[in-house]
Amino acid sequence: MELSRRTLIAGGFAAMLGGTVVGCSSSMDAGTTKKNATGNIALWCWPGGLGKSVLDDTIAHFPDQHIKYSEVGGDFKQKLLTTFNGGTSIPDITGVKGEDIASMLPQANRFVDLKTIGADSILGDYLDWKVKQATTLDGKVLGIPIDIGPTALFYREDVFTAGGLPGDPAKVAEQLKTWDDFLAAGVELKKSNPKAFIVADAADLYGTIVNQGTARYIDKDNKFIGDQDHIRKAWDTAVKAITLKVDGKTLGGSPDWNAGLDNGTVPTVTGAAWVALDIKAACKTSVGKWRVAPTPSGPANFGGSFLTITKSAADPAAAFEVIKYMLSADNEAKAFADAQIFPATPAAYDKPQLKAADPFFGGQVPIEVFGPAAKNIPIAYEAPLDSAVATPFTDELKLVQAGKKSSDAAWSSAVQKAKQIGKRQGVQ
Amino acid sequence: MTLTATAPTRPARTAKPQRRRGVLSYWRFYLALSPFYLLFVVFGLYPVASTILLAFQKWDGLGPRKMVGLQNFGFLIQDSTFWLSLWNTVVLFVMSTAPTLVIAMTLAVMLHSAVRFKGIYRIAYFIPNITSLVAAAIFFAAVFSTNFGLINAGLRSLGLPTEDWLRQPWGIKIAISTMIVWQWAGYNTIIYLAGLQAIPTEQYEAAKVDGAGPFRTFFSITLPQLRPVVLFTVIMSTIGGLQTFTEPQVMVGNNGGTGQSGMTVVMYFYNQAFFNNDYGYAGAIALSIFMLVLLFTAINWKLLGGRGRQ
Repeated sequence: MELSRRTLIAGGFAAMLGGTVVGCSSSMDAGTTKKNATGNIALWCWPGGLGKSVLDDTIAHFPDQHIKYSEVGGDFKQKLLTTFNGGTSIPDITGVKGEDIASMLPQANRFVDLKTIGADSILGDYLDWKVKQATTLDGKVLGIPIDIGPTALFYREDVFTAGGLPGDPAKVAEQLKTWDDFLAAGVELKKSNPKAFIVADAADLYGTIVNQGTARYIDKDNKFIGDQDHIRKAWDTAVKAITLKVDGKTLGGSPDWNAGLDNGTVPTVTGAAWVALDIKAACKTSVGKWRVAPTPSGPANFGGSFLTITKSAADPAAAFEVIKYMLSADNEAKAFADAQIFPATPAAYDKPQLKAADPFFGGQVPIEVFGPAAKNIPIAYEAPLDSAVATPFTDELKLVQAGKKSSDAAWSSAVQKAKQIGKRQGVQ
Repeated sequence: MTLTATAPTRPARTAKPQRRRGVLSYWRFYLALSPFYLLFVVFGLYPVASTILLAFQKWDGLGPRKMVGLQNFGFLIQDSTFWLSLWNTVVLFVMSTAPTLVIAMTLAVMLHSAVRFKGIYRIAYFIPNITSLVAAAIFFAAVFSTNFGLINAGLRSLGLPTEDWLRQPWGIKIAISTMIVWQWAGYNTIIYLAGLQAIPTEQYEAAKVDGAGPFRTFFSITLPQLRPVVLFTVIMSTIGGLQTFTEPQVMVGNNGGTGQSGMTVVMYFYNQAFFNNDYGYAGAIALSIFMLVLLFTAINWKLLGGRGRQ
């Protein structure tokens, strides 16, 4: 009895030790691309990344591929990287978020170049600028767009009209053509309603204006261009909002922001189509009082993701068929109906799911604003290090906002910090 | 069960001379201890060693690793954000640990004297410590929010000027340290309470006979007797406090809010690794946190432990 119990315990430890050794050895062949077993397709995405009915339909449509969908919560990119490094259980198809795609481009050898398996035939169906985000400098296409995030100006019709501004979306579009018009309207609005700040957060406004541009912080030759006019102009506009005192300093998503949306102290939100979900969640009494107008100074994009095929895929061609089906214009329209996943295929904008009038926006049809915006989003090269270099600018702007620094002092310190971050990574 | 079964054979074995048993004869004990060590090697030692190695490399998380020598540390020394985060960490540590321990000591002494419903108080004070950090941080962010926050509502009702707590560099630090105090005061109270209960009552009786008042008793008996317990709590608070991460991250975002005044070293490390994919540099930052914790622990040990061990 006693002996057998000991053997059992010892056996257990031996098994554990064995497991550890195996675990170590499998992580050691990182970098090799072991092919997955054929006959199955493992698909990874994050919660809410794909429409539920589209997903169920796709799985049913390819019974021979045995699609196994895994919803990966938490830090998706990190889990994907870890799995890549581990070298086993790499999915055949995986989602890649819009904000992560730039940092994935240098890792192009981990993904299948979709152009080699017939992507050319469908790339024309998707918005050109969005496909470019997933294209490497030497022309490899790594992903097919799931969705995009075109921006618009969401505003409170009741607050605007009470403050002497136009309420009708067409008239708002006409009067608020540029950010200067927008800030001037803010001054007007504040005269009659001192609690209403037309800019929710000047630091957010700055990010939007940068996204509206055709150049960002680093150019294709890996040179730092964040100290040039296109960035400075965005900076100056944000600072202007602060000096004109039309900046509400209300961080998006904070409790103040949420409460402000409903009671009119945050009367506008400049944001991507999916921001509508946040606004709807925050508003109880102002339902039907919101409207959508084009973004002043033109549209921008926030977010929007891709489906990619990894080098581990057993049958990339079969995986591509799945992606092709899942992200067709019809299915992207369905995904919009499922979970407000905004289509990256212009053909979807004419489908009934998107043509619906929205009672939250007083019966307005939002696609009439978002559709044209989606097609006109400027193309800007986004370097893998872009977001890291952008950080000091927003941080320093917040100091101007808090009245702790002058605009010029903050600007030069932002440029200096950004250059230093870039230098560490070999940016000139 | 095993113990009672083997007990009869024990006397015979221990009677034999000590030198006959080499290290190997203790194999059962090592075996019994091994689960911890095996898990520690895999999940503790290996990552630590790997991080130290990483600090001397350049790695983007996926591609090949490249040895770069001391380059990461060279950048670190010139990196103003790193020094700022170091400063923030130390300031937050002082701002949160000192009040935590003073409050904890006060509460413990109060609980130690005859109070009714002692158990209920103990549970009530300990609950913040086991509350989800993220949930608590969201709650505190709401409490400190500008227009609809509890703190500003209180200030307004007293006719005092309100403050943009989470938009001002010092406001951010106050909000974060308030939350840390709330979370850790109860935990330290329980530890102090255990320490207080171990002090022999004779000493207090003797003090009473000698005519010492409550304050004299506290500073001449309670505090000196608690020295090892205080040292323990200070060291634990140091290790925890220098690794503050979740509170500022949830309350003011990944970049630490206005002037990055909520940016701690661990947050900076996290940003470099998981947002900027600069794992080598992050490794160098992680090493610096390690050195910092070591340094502070040594200082605490000297300050508090020294006299107690004579």
